[in-house]
Amino acid sequence: MAQSIQDVVKSMMAARGNTQEITKDEPIFTSGLLDSLAATELMMTLESDFGIDLADADFDISKLDTLADLEGLIGEAA
Amino acid sequence: MASTETLQSPEIEYSPLKWRRAWLTMDQNPVAIEFAKTNFGVFILHVGFILALAASGQFSGAALVMVSATLGAIALAPHRRIELLVGASILYVILRPFRIDGWTAVVNLKSQVIESSPYLLQIPAVVLFLFFSALFLRAMHWEKTKRLAKRPLTSLFLIWSVFLITAIMLPKGSLIGAFVWTYVGVMISAIWFLAYAAVDEKAKVKTPLIAKAGMMRPIWGGSSTPLGKGFGYLNKFDSKDTDELAVTRLKALKLAVWGALLAGLWFVMEYFARDVFALPTLITSILATADGTATVGTSWLSLIYNYFLDLVIIAVWGHMIVAVIRMIGYRIPRNSRNPLASRTLAEFWNRYHFYHKELLVDFFFYPAFVRFFKKSPKLRIAFATFCAAGLGNFLFHAARDTHVFADATLMEGLAMFQSTWVYFLALALGLVFSQVNPIKIKPEHGFFCYEILTRLNVCTFFCFVKIFGDITVEGTLAERCQFVLSLFFI
Repeated sequence: MAQSIQDVVKSMMAARGNTQEITKDEPIFTSGLLDSLAATELMMTLESDFGIDLADADFDISKLDTLADLEGLIGEAA
Repeated sequence: MASTETLQSPEIEYSPLKWRRAWLTMDQNPVAIEFAKTNFGVFILHVGFILALAASGQFSGAALVMVSATLGAIALAPHRRIELLVGASILYVILRPFRIDGWTAVVNLKSQVIESSPYLLQIPAVVLFLFFSALFLRAMHWEKTKRLAKRPLTSLFLIWSVFLITAIMLPKGSLIGAFVWTYVGVMISAIWFLAYAAVDEKAKVKTPLIAKAGMMRPIWGGSSTPLGKGFGYLNKFDSKDTDELAVTRLKALKLAVWGALLAGLWFVMEYFARDVFALPTLITSILATADGTATVGTSWLSLIYNYFLDLVIIAVWGHMIVAVIRMIGYRIPRNSRNPLASRTLAEFWNRYHFYHKELLVDFFFYPAFVRFFKKSPKLRIAFATFCAAGLGNFLFHAARDTHVFADATLMEGLAMFQSTWVYFLALALGLVFSQVNPIKIKPEHGFFCYEILTRLNVCTFFCFVKIFGDITVEGTLAERCQFVLSLFFI
């Protein structure tokens, strides 16, 4: 599952012409590697493919900023 | 290694292109990085950096002294960086709490009416606000007030609105009225900093509450938009060791020098426009059109020139602030990043004023996106974009400029915002279409379409919306519409 979200992020970066490797703790959105439109795509993927409800009032957008954050979020929901 | 040999060579070859390349890549040059780690290197970097800040013309003498003293103290005592940063920022917010001249003018006027010094109004107001900030952040963890944590921005704006209504209702010319107006100004000038501090309460790396509450106007200055957001964001970009700190400082110096060069360009552009060719500013052209004294050619020139001047000055301003933050050790992204390269409206917004876009995305786009129209992706994106670029952007500017109500009636005050409704509506609709139906022009469509036409579209759109973009007492909506029509001989 964790590998899948990594693939999703990598494919989004590749679609925007960015093929650089990223570490698990590297900020993806706040650093500008991916823009806010990509963030919305990722959020929709998290909802549709991983069953995560982002409308929870306790949800914090900064939980999506690194691969480690994303894996943690998916792990919590599993 | 090649670059090392070049730098160590006793003979300096005259080659501006090589020098330029060496300068631009110095943060990857091992010799430069090693030099930047030495005490002498740190000293030289700071001297060069402060000279660049001074050359940019973006800092007053007093602000330059404060920034220089803070950077110097942090360089000498890096283990006390947070304390020094927060201490300097508290002093700064006490001395200069307002981000825009409108609020300073209101407080000066109010203090004259009650025959007092503005400092006697603003210092207690700032101290009260700092206590409020600490209390608000602490209250987010109390059981009875945990709802604050879920909607910090809404809570803050509700509290601020209560103060604003109280200020409007209190008699003009009274001491209590003057004080409440001052508090309203202090609070709205720092409200987005407090909102980010509230968001940081959920961050993984914890910063002491007193530090977060004290960063209501960081020493690097700027507008009501928090460049560098809050400590939660800054910590993500903190230099982890001396090598990273040296690289970050070299990047800071490069950015400050680039900002100073752009400031020079801006001064030259202003000089030729105003002093040599007597080209009017955009608002002067709008008023001249209303008077019937403008020519179409001059109107077009002032419109286009205004667009480029604005791009340059926003870049200078943002570069200098980001450079100071980097010099402190946080390698945050730039505020402006080649906006003329944008091929879509959304891309332009990302490149033109990154942290303002981030503010609107963080506090308006995402909250709307995760809650509404989840079954219709296009409508979902469109609504969230409208909330950010339209409603959120209007709220940001309208709240910041509520000082206009201090000495005007409600209707007079509202009338001053009339053209900005058009601006935010046009901006929001443009961005909605750009996000929902992006024009997919590819390199295969040819050089002109891909490289020129896409960028020309973006320039044209932002050139025109700027006509309605400023909140001033001059230039009504009708006059601005008349100006647009006059550009096409209508």
